[in-house]
Amino acid sequence: MHGLRRRRDGEIQIGLAEEERELLRQLCLRLAAEVEGGGEEEGLARLFPVAYRDDKTAAAEFDELVRPGLAEGKVAALRRVGETAGSERLDERDAQAWLTALNDVRLVLGTRLGVTEETYATGSGSPGLAIYGWLTWLQGELVEALAAAL
Amino acid sequence: MSTVAPTRVERPHREESVERDRPWIVIVWNDPINLMTYVSYVFQKLFGYSKEKAERLMMQVHVEGKAVVSGGTREKAEHDVARLQAHGLWATLRQD
Repeated sequence: MHGLRRRRDGEIQIGLAEEERELLRQLCLRLAAEVEGGGEEEGLARLFPVAYRDDKTAAAEFDELVRPGLAEGKVAALRRVGETAGSERLDERDAQAWLTALNDVRLVLGTRLGVTEETYATGSGSPGLAIYGWLTWLQGELVEALAAAL
Repeated sequence: MSTVAPTRVERPHREESVERDRPWIVIVWNDPINLMTYVSYVFQKLFGYSKEKAERLMMQVHVEGKAVVSGGTREKAEHDVARLQAHGLWATLRQD
């Protein structure tokens, strides 16, 4: 089996090659370090949208009060994927960490690559887009496995 | 854990009392990266919506560019925005 499947006991079975696991680990740990470093670069900024579009004061307050906790949660999930990328299976808690971490890696990479809604369909070849396409496939597998239990 | 969003405990007395009664709404905006199946899953998971309602809202985001997905007091709306952003969705709030 290549991909992710829900087992009868509710856990998620991971069927990935060693190189895929290593790539995932590196992508997640690198992003965890970037999020911890902070900054307003476009890719990272996509992880923290401006919560109030028409109220700069409220938006700044939201950033000050809510963003640190959001960043902490994202870093924890990314690190958790780093720790469990070599596992054979995931429990629900780890599967949820994978879900948000994979999505955050896609958001940052996709933003930096400038992807549009047509990008994946036409799927042409830079290494970055190949990784993005692979992450998209992997997340689709995970969503399908998790949604089956709703 | 990544799904736990912080809540704001106090709010400076910025609004007038009448203003405070108007409900706040939470909006999710379309983006080219989040998967449709993922967005629908997140709506079901965070708000307990049925699959049908979650897919209807997801399609509204996709086709119309945005959708109101929840609302209530300012505190609740901020809490929902934080949970949606914890999941990578492009969520904002405003007073209705």
